[in-house]
Amino acid sequence: MSIFKYIPKNIQGYSMNNIFAVYYHEKVIDHYENPRNVGSLDKTDKRVGTGLVGAPACGDVMKLQIKVRDIQVDEQGRIEDAKFKTFGCGSAIASSSLATEWVKGKTIDEALQLKNTDIAKELCLPPVKLHCSMLAEDAIKAALSDYRIKQQNAQKELEEVNNTKMNE
Amino acid sequence: MLNIHYFIKPVLYIYNSPLILSTKRIKLIDYKSYCLYKFEIVAHETLESLYEYFEDLITENEHLSDSDTTFNNGVLTVNFGSPIGMYVINRQLPNEQIWLSSPISGPKRYDYLKSTDTWVYKHNNQSLHQLLQSEISNILRKNVDFFVCKHSGKYCL
Repeated sequence: MSIFKYIPKNIQGYSMNNIFAVYYHEKVIDHYENPRNVGSLDKTDKRVGTGLVGAPACGDVMKLQIKVRDIQVDEQGRIEDAKFKTFGCGSAIASSSLATEWVKGKTIDEALQLKNTDIAKELCLPPVKLHCSMLAEDAIKAALSDYRIKQQNAQKELEEVNNTKMNE
Repeated sequence: MLNIHYFIKPVLYIYNSPLILSTKRIKLIDYKSYCLYKFEIVAHETLESLYEYFEDLITENEHLSDSDTTFNNGVLTVNFGSPIGMYVINRQLPNEQIWLSSPISGPKRYDYLKSTDTWVYKHNNQSLHQLLQSEISNILRKNVDFFVCKHSGKYCL
């Protein structure tokens, strides 16, 4: 029975199912030709969270950085700037670029709500490239958790300083 | 995943001579290549048995006559046509994972668990065959049994 696998399904001509035409969607091309928010932020700054996801062997690496407004200035802590650098296919670049666009102006809790399905729908990603949108969502979550950890460490330092002052 | 045996432990890999099938040859390879070779075998068996099951499903169901399935180079695609969409299941060698892209639930990555002989998504501990079982039975609206496929965990083959 397994021999039948190798006989083409439509012998008379090319079956439309076998011609696999793949074109990049114009939104993906737009993000590639008109890059927005490409670059780096100062990772030592306490208001900056950095997310680095992916592996070169798999084909995609994304670095996404967010800068949050000072809590003294803005209580809700809105994201005022976001930058990305991506090594990978056009869909990966477009997904991370779109993620930086969407994350600007949102609070941290709102940014955590971003789903890979929204990114994939907006860019009309084909099934094979859905993993790129998931990687972009992971990059946002990694950047936000890095920011949270930095804030917790900064608070601990403040408490320690206050404790030493009180003991003196 | 870094294991010191990758660097130290050599493995004697015994295989059939391609020309004279009765003789065996021995090759000395490193442990990492051996692990990757074992993963390739398991992944290939999983995908091939899924491909055969999908092919049978498509030929048995008349209303699926527009659907198509292909398996090349470790990439299995099952196209149900619009409005359902296309499933893409492929092996990812560097991670030793199987990646699934479902038109219903999106992308997922599965790791192989030797103890239960299943491919498991670590975020919700659900296996690949369990997900296919629930989604495909909803699409086809009939009973399917993905657990007859290899490395699905339920039946011992």
